[in-house]
Amino acid sequence: MMIISLQSYRSYKTSRDGVNWDLSEAVPRLPGETHVADKEVIYICPFNGPIKGRVYITNYRLYLRSLETDSALILDVPLGVISRIEKMGGATSRGENSYGLDITCKDMRNLRFALKQEGHSRRDMFEILTRHAFPLAHSLPIFAFLNEEKFNVDGWMVYNPVEEYRRQGLPNHHWRITFINKCYELCDTYPSLLVVPYRASDEDLRRVATFRSRNRIPVLSWIHPENKTVIVRCSQPLVGMSGKRNKDDEKYLDVIRETNRQISKLTIYDARPNVNAVANKATGGGYESDDAYHNAELFFLDIHNIHVMRESLKKVKDIVYPNVEESHWLSSLESTHWLEHIKLVLTGAIQVADKVSSGKSSVLVHCSDGWDRTAQLTSLAMLMLDSFYRSIEGFEILVQKEWISFGHKFASRIGHGDKNHADADRSPIFLQFIDCVWQMSKQFPTAFEFNEQFLITILDHLYSCRFGTFLYNCESARERQKVTERTVSLWSLINSNKDRFKNPFYTKEINRVLYPVASMRHLELWVNYYIRWNPRIKQQQPNPVEQRYLELLALRDEYIKRLEELQLANSAKLSDPSTSPSSPSQMMPHVQTHF
Amino acid sequence: MMFFFLFSVSGNASNPEFKKKKNSECLLRLRHEGLLNSCPAGVASCPASSCPFRSPRSPRLKLLESALLLGPRPTAGGMEFSELIRTGRAQAELLRGPGAPPLRGTLCVTGHHLLLSPGPQATSDLWLLLLRSVDSIEKRVAGDSGTITLRCKDLRVLQLDIEGVEATLDIARSIEALSSLESVITSFPFFYRPKGLRLGDAWHFHPPEHYYKRVARETNAWRLSEVNEDFSVCPSYPRAVIVPRAVDDDALARSARFRQGGRFPVLSYHHAPSGTVLLRSSQPLTGPQKRRCAEDEELLRAVLAGARPGARGFIVDTRSAQAAKQARMTGGGTEAKAAYPGWKRLHRPMERGRPLQESFVRLVEACGDLEQSMDRWLSRLEGCRWLAHVKEALSTACLAAQGMEREGACILVHGAEGTDSTLLVTSLAQLILDPLSRTMTGFQELVEREWIQAGHPFQLRCAHSAFSHARPKHEAPTFLLFLDCVWQLGRQFPLSLEFGEGLLLALFEHAYASPFGTFLCNSEKERCLCEVRTRTHSLWSGLNQPKEQRKLRNPLYVLNPLAIWPSVEPQSLRLWQGLFLRWTRPPEPSEAAWEKVWQIVTDKEKTEGSQPTVSASEPQP
Repeated sequence: MMIISLQSYRSYKTSRDGVNWDLSEAVPRLPGETHVADKEVIYICPFNGPIKGRVYITNYRLYLRSLETDSALILDVPLGVISRIEKMGGATSRGENSYGLDITCKDMRNLRFALKQEGHSRRDMFEILTRHAFPLAHSLPIFAFLNEEKFNVDGWMVYNPVEEYRRQGLPNHHWRITFINKCYELCDTYPSLLVVPYRASDEDLRRVATFRSRNRIPVLSWIHPENKTVIVRCSQPLVGMSGKRNKDDEKYLDVIRETNRQISKLTIYDARPNVNAVANKATGGGYESDDAYHNAELFFLDIHNIHVMRESLKKVKDIVYPNVEESHWLSSLESTHWLEHIKLVLTGAIQVADKVSSGKSSVLVHCSDGWDRTAQLTSLAMLMLDSFYRSIEGFEILVQKEWISFGHKFASRIGHGDKNHADADRSPIFLQFIDCVWQMSKQFPTAFEFNEQFLITILDHLYSCRFGTFLYNCESARERQKVTERTVSLWSLINSNKDRFKNPFYTKEINRVLYPVASMRHLELWVNYYIRWNPRIKQQQPNPVEQRYLELLALRDEYIKRLEELQLANSAKLSDPSTSPSSPSQMMPHVQTHF
Repeated sequence: MMFFFLFSVSGNASNPEFKKKKNSECLLRLRHEGLLNSCPAGVASCPASSCPFRSPRSPRLKLLESALLLGPRPTAGGMEFSELIRTGRAQAELLRGPGAPPLRGTLCVTGHHLLLSPGPQATSDLWLLLLRSVDSIEKRVAGDSGTITLRCKDLRVLQLDIEGVEATLDIARSIEALSSLESVITSFPFFYRPKGLRLGDAWHFHPPEHYYKRVARETNAWRLSEVNEDFSVCPSYPRAVIVPRAVDDDALARSARFRQGGRFPVLSYHHAPSGTVLLRSSQPLTGPQKRRCAEDEELLRAVLAGARPGARGFIVDTRSAQAAKQARMTGGGTEAKAAYPGWKRLHRPMERGRPLQESFVRLVEACGDLEQSMDRWLSRLEGCRWLAHVKEALSTACLAAQGMEREGACILVHGAEGTDSTLLVTSLAQLILDPLSRTMTGFQELVEREWIQAGHPFQLRCAHSAFSHARPKHEAPTFLLFLDCVWQLGRQFPLSLEFGEGLLLALFEHAYASPFGTFLCNSEKERCLCEVRTRTHSLWSGLNQPKEQRKLRNPLYVLNPLAIWPSVEPQSLRLWQGLFLRWTRPPEPSEAAWEKVWQIVTDKEKTEGSQPTVSASEPQP
């Protein structure tokens, strides 16, 4: 009963996403989405038991509508969410609904469909689903390349590296912008535009690159507007078993240190646990030793690798889906260690932020390759330090910069369109980052311009393959595939309907550093994400808080507009430039009520 | 003005003669008014072994003792606590935990307060702590200074660094003596005379009478009985109770004799949409011989007859079936099926008494243990079982509410005494079903009617909070558990309660230590004897002052006419951080958020007003 309203609410939401919602049509369809097949099945709902329905498969989604009169259930699952399709039961297996398909999803749920046993009835459905859910194995394009949606905002314009660095006050007389990686020859997983110390020549950079794993040299991520201390990111040095040294790398780090004269040491945060860093020497990696880097202090942050995180999330799914472990909920949750990992990531980021802000020391962050834990640490620290990233567009820029452009391997970690569900490269690193952001937004309810829905939408489209934003592993691959020309950006969807993603209690504060409490006592499981499929945890339907928030937001905007009108009337005496950044011109177009 | 008389305390010499006279006078009056002949908490008639708060001494004795032992009475110019005050003042530094800067100044112990007055150059105001709110005290001396750690009933931990060993010990002893005074009539509420409030205000709250007016509008089947006018039928009930019209006062009196502590079934809530009622009582005294009481049976029959035709009844017993059966051996028991046709018994065991208090103590210990290694927190939280109690309470309340709303049945709730779990269930069920009880005034009336007037023994249950080293006797955080459940409701239905966390926190604080008289004593009878209504201020008048509203109200409130069914799944229940971690985390972010919400709502009211009157020079929202 609950699920009905939940689902209808979802469909109400999708209809506002720009989907053609034609009532005469059975299935909502995006421009470019085509019908492939439909079939009568029994959906084995883990909460309400078997429900007879018709499933419609398009090249983008699996859509199920109940055929039973007393249940209005609708399932709307983008095929990109599917990680694995299995046949359950055989032609001879007995028992009701024992023959069919079992679908594992990336977003914390599984779907089971039962079909008639006679005549291999599931074979074609299995094949069609496999083809469209895993297009890579069948030389089919990912749906993002077929999507013909149009938005009035172009999300690809959100991030412009030159502009972002200019916002940070770069280049300055210590840091320069280099185009050495223009054709990705220095480092194929880095963006084309990099910020490096002014005193390091391009030749120096090339030599440093030989000593850093996958040539990911230390480059600037963020500079403190007052201290001029910086966050620099890179990969591990190639020290190896023999303890190799590289004069250029040592000199380069010293140059970075010298850009800030307030403190005599450069702080290096190695995100890994100490033992892992040592173990990496066996494969040619390692960490900066004291003897080689006199002017640096190294700390390990004890964050585990992608495999540990993957297993941890798997355990979370085990205790929340389909049924929530009831009798020992908290100790089961503890045994997944998920919150403990969240705590470690947050603690690491706090240390980075604190060092840069209060410690007045420049910081270098790396893990092994510098595209997972490093991205988590730099982006979270930047979120704590720089209020700009707490706005909707700022956050988009942060994700676009620290994650997408710096080569977090989205394609490998998520496995877009790839059937190899057991790939050891898959890992929920980005999800973990979003979880950390959510924890922060819980602790600072007024500090973020965006709401929970914004974060959930990002995660939904991390898997959906509807947008090109999270496709491929690095900028060079994206450029080769002309992703920005051939696909739509997720930010187009979000920015063309920002109101839905706004936190009405957002208070813009410049220069406030947020230090979340990273104690287990103050972290909680993100129930609205991880357990959202369970109708029992939903309370009021449809979510009235969200509606009320929107109402309040509209009223606030209206108020600001009126205030603005009054200000215009007295404008002569009021020409304070400090009020203009929050100028109502951004707000005004959204003064509308939609309920 | 208040400070003036507090400061005058230590200077006042006591007059032993005068005090003695006052003491005996007081005792005489108590005897005259019948306190010696009855038991304040209704425990006298209670079968001893079924009472979870076993104590060698009856609470009645306790009360008298305290009245005898200490006789400080208000005198013209001040009080006579001076002999308990070992030292007047000392230099000290106060540490108030994270976020608050330390405070230096002159420390001063008065009859009811601990004061710290900062030096003349300091900007901050006088710091004041009600001694009654000190739960435990720990002293340490080293060199020529000492440290006193005060753990307060509101879970705050304060540290005082005091100059001088003697001064430290003296101050510690004074606080110890003064914070554990048990006499009601010498407690601070009898001296508290705040500006802007008039004595007697808000004591006009007569919940049973007031609530009866509402019931009478909805149905004719009930009447207001004054059978307990002089508290002789049931010492823990108020003067007036709502009972079936068909049952006369004599029958009520006889039913009362069949119920522990005289708590015969009375109306708690009338659910007009379904025409059913919620009743509460204590256990029937069936005993090993399976006694019956015709009047009691008649009473419950009349309840069903007065509800919609064909209505059934459920008796929700807050003990397990086995515990209920065992209670027979000690004179208690439960309603026999054959004797109450139409009524069906359901057992929903809820823990109370000592296990509940221990759970509270363990939870507070866990929350305050900052050494705690991070990876064991969740299992430790689970081990405290506090959230399990929250779940039990909410799901039993849901059961009762569901019985009324969905099954159209009448519900009678009782455990043993009917003064703890019973009230928890009936009050929560009303919050779930009744939109009026979710308003600011409705909720205050609910607390007054279903807890204070219904005879929850606050004085006994809240004598100590979670820090006391003494073995718990009658202490149990039943009321806190209720507040926590309400907080969970508010978290799950953020728009449906007119009040916010602020009110719940205030009620918690005041239940344990308060300058107001509302939570004093164990029953209405005791409050009458102590003249609480005429000699103390009501908490409600204190809370309902306009300046308090921003802290207490929920700015997002919109009337929700529906029942609010909470989710009781373990992952839907949270630790109430605002209470249990209140003093260990910086409060700014949540306070800022609260302020922001208010600002937006106030803005809204402004824009909704005829014409915005804001001038351009006003700050932007």
